[in-house]
This record gives sequence, structure tokens and C-alpha cells, in this order.
Amino acid sequence: MLEVKGLTFRYPETETIWRFTFGVDHGECIAINGPSGSGKSTLLNLLAGFLTPESGTIRWENRLLNELPPWERPVTSLFQEHNLFEHLDVQTNIGLGIHPGLKLTRTQKEAISHGLVSVGMTGFERRMPGDLSGGQRQRVALLRALLRDQPILLLDEPLTGLDAEARTQLRALLLRHKAAGKVLVLASHDQEDRKILADKLLNL
Amino acid sequence: MRHSPFGYTQAPFSHPAWQIGPGLTIACGLIALTVTGVAALLWQAHLPEVSELWRNRYLNNVIRFTVWQATVSTALSLLLGLFIALALVRQPRFPGRRLLLRVMELSLVLPTIVAVSGLVAVYGRHGWLTAIVEQWTTVRWNLYGLNGIVLAHVFFNAPLAGRILLQALESVPAPRRRIASQLGLKGRWLWRTLDWPAVRRVLPGVAALVFTLCFTSFAIVMTLGGGPASTTLEVAIYQSLRFEFDFGRAALLAVVQLLICGALWFLMVRRSLSANLSPAREFPESIPRPDSQGVRRLQDVALLLCFSLFLLLPLAAVLFRGLPGLATVAINGGQPLNEMTEATLRSFAIALPAGAFSVFSGLLVLSMSSRGGGHLSRLSSVATAVPLMVPPIVLGTALFLLLRPSLGNSYDGLALVALINGVMALPFVTQLMRGPLNNLDKSTVRQADQLGLRGWYRWRWLHWPRLKRPLALAMAYGTGLSLGDFGVIALFGTPGQPTIPVLLYQQLGSYRMDLAAGTALWLVCLLLLVFAAFSLPGYRRNHRNLAGNVFKALAEGRHA
Repeated sequence: MLEVKGLTFRYPETETIWRFTFGVDHGECIAINGPSGSGKSTLLNLLAGFLTPESGTIRWENRLLNELPPWERPVTSLFQEHNLFEHLDVQTNIGLGIHPGLKLTRTQKEAISHGLVSVGMTGFERRMPGDLSGGQRQRVALLRALLRDQPILLLDEPLTGLDAEARTQLRALLLRHKAAGKVLVLASHDQEDRKILADKLLNL
Repeated sequence: MRHSPFGYTQAPFSHPAWQIGPGLTIACGLIALTVTGVAALLWQAHLPEVSELWRNRYLNNVIRFTVWQATVSTALSLLLGLFIALALVRQPRFPGRRLLLRVMELSLVLPTIVAVSGLVAVYGRHGWLTAIVEQWTTVRWNLYGLNGIVLAHVFFNAPLAGRILLQALESVPAPRRRIASQLGLKGRWLWRTLDWPAVRRVLPGVAALVFTLCFTSFAIVMTLGGGPASTTLEVAIYQSLRFEFDFGRAALLAVVQLLICGALWFLMVRRSLSANLSPAREFPESIPRPDSQGVRRLQDVALLLCFSLFLLLPLAAVLFRGLPGLATVAINGGQPLNEMTEATLRSFAIALPAGAFSVFSGLLVLSMSSRGGGHLSRLSSVATAVPLMVPPIVLGTALFLLLRPSLGNSYDGLALVALINGVMALPFVTQLMRGPLNNLDKSTVRQADQLGLRGWYRWRWLHWPRLKRPLALAMAYGTGLSLGDFGVIALFGTPGQPTIPVLLYQQLGSYRMDLAAGTALWLVCLLLLVFAAFSLPGYRRNHRNLAGNVFKALAEGRHA
């Protein structure tokens, strides 16, 4: 279970203090609801370890995550954009999610190829991110997140700006991910995303 | 390899000590080398009374002349550079624009002694232009002294200033330029709204850079100074060490130079004002300016043509005068060919290690700067700027004095030259790598952090693809700078074992002008060869035009 208790954060030279407390179980999705500037992205950055909280705790399966750097936390983030390394091809981008030195076994390489087939991107291994559409880029990023196999997925407006078809495909992938027992933390302005994906709502 | 409870794989060399330690060692080493350099001179000789600086007429004159020539050269270089940059911005379709930009880049990497021979061929007593002017007018012109020094400094630095200012002017956002165009802003208002805000950001950095280059100029003053009245600090230090063996005076003058240049760079580092020397120039959307038509267009074209001639004539002189000499050496062979071959090999034996040293140490110092906080960043800025302020001769002499017991033969002296040349190239080499190394955006860094791309993995997957070309260019630059060096080698070289620039100087000194012209051209050819060789990987990958690449590679240059 992901447990956030009394987590507070304040940006330097500002008065506003954000406080967060919630819990999410395996196979659940919590949607964070609030207007722009209410702290949705801040919360995701705190969970990912990109920001350091003033106080409070983040626990996963009773292990304290606060002191862990981003690379040691059991999380994967998916942002609205800039999820891929622009100078590396699709296969390398995905492979780096599995092993940061790209030391992949044959099984892992096959998993990438099968994964690309499953997201409708057969033969895209050597394509560069710049050659892909917004939806295709998000599918690659999501595939990397799935293959990375971390238990918590942080989603910051992941479907914003995509066409209807791409949104449907990605929602289906996320639901599969959730059904596999992963925890989803979703920040989205879109009511339909929240309705389809979320089991809980956190109002900020 | 350690695995975390959540399956994280630790990357090799990801411990903070690996990311900061080597760079910190090099940065401290560079600063220690500088301090030790001056201290070694003081240790070997008693420092004269400081009051000698204003009591001794010669020293007084040297300091005043150094400051004066650097100020005049900087002012003229910036003024001309600004006019050229503005003309190029106003006339994006000037027919010779690309050629002029290439020549501006080429003139910057020319070894000083080669460029000086070109300038003498055009503006000297029997020069092309002097002959024409004297035939048609009563104007008489002497290249030697302040005139020649300033002319040569402007020849080298106006293109440098012009290029950086042009880059700044072209970086004005397109929407702002469109609005200015729609409103029909001209003259003072166009300058105030569009040009001045862009120029103002880089002007202090360019001014400091050009002033430092002119202030510490050595070969130009040595060759065009013309006598004691036109001596600069750097040359006076050289004379004190080489001819008068007065280490105390050399140390005093080195301290004065260090104080003046150091104060300037301290201000620059403190206010984060630095000129961007990156060769990557983006060609912006061409938006017509209201002030680019009519008489102004004619004025701009005339200015650009004159400036092109100013740069091209000395280069043409090097080519035309050098071809017969080079052909004679190649056809007749014998002693001159042997001399040239040996000098070429010796030059490369010094230049390649010097280039490798400067690139390697620059990379480590910059890596430290990008990983560490503000203090480490400032330390890195100071360490890489120090070689600009300290005369290489002082560093060389100090090392020579310190290592004298263990320096056995001439090869040790050449190794010392390679080391000092590598250090001297650092400020320019690091400028080439700084941008690509530090421009990882926030989202990329966060993504990399989350995926565990740290240490060696971050270098392999994020930095190396971006740094390949700048590294090759930096290596070409470090090598080229050392190849054209006539400062350190003048002190440590032995006449019997010359490098190419020393051979050229010897030939000029013995009035073997044809041979000297051939050697000058040969040096330019070697320089082009170095830049072409280090551009080849980029050529193969990108299938770009080789010549274009070579000249693009030359974009980041400084006269040796």
C-alpha cells in the first residue's frame, strides 16, 4: 500500500504550504482533483523524489521512501510530454527503462518487440521520438513504464492533448496496468479520465 | 554492483566522489599551478620594490602601453564588430554573407605569426596596399608600433566580436522582430527596442574577452612592436626571463598582469557575464527590417565589402606568396624539406597531447561544475579562466624552475610545452563543451534520475551523443592552438629543434622570405588538416559537406 501522511511542502520564497494525506492500495487508482496551481504536479514530484518535503512521510509496503533518491524509488512517472530522450530511438528509450546500462537479455529484448506489437507500433524500434505523433510517443513512454515494472505509476496529465483514438488506447493500457495490481496516481483535469480510471478522489 | 530493495541497479562511477573528485583535483591543480608559478619566480629571486612600477620609467611605460593598446584595440574591435554584425542582420541576403562568415571564422584560428606575415604583405613597408596608397596619395604609414599592433588585434578580434554580437542579434525572438517590422521602427527606436537589449547581454563578456586577449597578446607585439616604446607586459616578462634573467622583475610584472586581468574576470564571474563562444549558430527566420533599404543598404554593402577585403587580402597574400615557396621546397627537397618534415612531426608530437590534455581536463572540470553547487561552479569558472590571465611564459618558467633538477633533455622541455599549451587552450576548449554538457533540460534530468541513468550510464546515454562533435571540435581546437603556438615554444624550444611556427620565425629572421611564405602556407594547411580530420566522424554520420564542416569546425577559434 502507498501511504502518504502529513506530507507538507512549500516552494522557497512563497507563503503557500501544501499538505497531503492519503492512501492507495494495490490495483487502485487515485485521481487528484484541483484547479491549476493547486499542487497536483507538486504532489507527484514529491512522490517521485524530485522535490523534498518539509515534513511527513511517504511509505510503500511500510518502507519509508522519503530518504530515497528518485532512482531508488519504486515509481515511474508519465508526464503530458517530454517523456522520451529525443536523441535515442524507440527501442533504446524503452530498453533504458529495463536496465540503465542497456544490458538486456534476449527475453527482455523480445518483451520490447512484443510490447510494441501490443501497443500497435510494430516495426517502430528504430524510429526517433521526433518522428512519432503525440499519441505514439505516449504509448512508447507507457510501454516503458509497463516494462519497467515498478509498482507505482505517477501520471501527470498523461492523456492531455491526444486525439480520441489515442486516448482510448492509452486508457485501455492503463486499465490493464491497474488490473495487474499496480497503483496509479493520476493528476488530470479531464473528468472522463477520472471517471474511467479512478477508484478514489483526492480533492486539493 | 549494488541492488536496492526496489530493484534499482547502481550505475558504475555514480558515487558523488567520482563525479566531483577528478574535476576538483584538476581545478585545484590549475589554480595551484598558477600560484606556484608566481611563487616559484618569487622564490628564485627577490621581488623588487613595488614602487619600482611607477618609479622605473621603462616599467611605467610598459604598463601604460599595455593598457592603452588593449583599450584602443578592444574599442575598435567592438565598434567594427558591432557595425559588421548590424550590417549582417540588416542584410540577410548579402551575396557574400556565407563566405564572409566563414572567413570571419577562419581568421580567428590563424596562427598569429602566419596572419602577421599576411598583414605585413598587405600593409607593410613594401605591402600591396602601402604601394598603392603611397603612389596615389601623400599618406605615409608605418606598420610597426602601436599602428601594427592595433591593426593586428582588430584583424583577429573584430571578427570574433562581430560573430558573437551577430549571434546575440539573431537570437531576438521572431515575434518581437515581426512587431518591430510591422510598426516600421527605424533608427534610434529600432536600436532601443530590438538591438540594444540583445547586444547589452553579451557586450560586457565580449569586451572582457577581447581586452584580455589584447592585453596578454605576445606574438603580435613581438613581431609588430618595433621597439621598447611598444612593449607590453607579456613581452617585458619574456625579455626579463629570456635575456635579462631577472626573475624578480618577471614575477612583479606577472603579478600586475594577473591583478588587472584577474579583477576583470572576477567581475565577470561574479556577475555571471560571459560571452557565448559556442559555434552552433541557428539561422533565424528572415524578417525584413524597416532600416534595411535605400541608402542604408548601400552603406551596409560597402561596409561588408571593405571588411571582407580587410580579412581576405592578408589571407590571399599568405596563399599567393606561399605557393611558390611551398612548391620549391616540395620539388627541390633537400635541407628545407627535411627541416619542414621534422618541424611538422615535432609540432604534432606537442600539439596532439596538448589537445588531448585540454579536452580531458576541461571535461572533468566542467563535469564537476555541473554536478556541484555554486561554489564548485565558481571554482570551475576561475580554474578555466586562469590560463587567460597568467602569461604562459610565467607558468612555463615556473614549472621549469620547479622541475629543473629532473628535466634532463630537450624532450622534457617539449613535454612541458605540451602541458602548458594544453592548459592555455582550456578557456576556449571548455567554452565549446560547456553548452552541450550543461544544457540537459529539467525533464530530461528528471527522467534520467528516475530511470537510474547516473554515473557512467548518464555519460553513455545522455552526454556522449551530444558531446561527440563538440569534443572532436574541442580536440581540433586544442591541437590547432598548440600547433600555432609561438609563445611557450619561444622560451623552451631550442633553435636546432624548431616547431613549424619557430621555423617560420627563424626563416623570417634570416630573410629567407620565399621559404617563410611557404612555411606559413604549410602551417595553414596543417591547421585545416587537423580540423578536417576531427570533423570526419560528423561527416560520415551526417553526410554533410566536408568543406562546410571544416569551416564550421573552425568557427570556434582563437589566434594562437
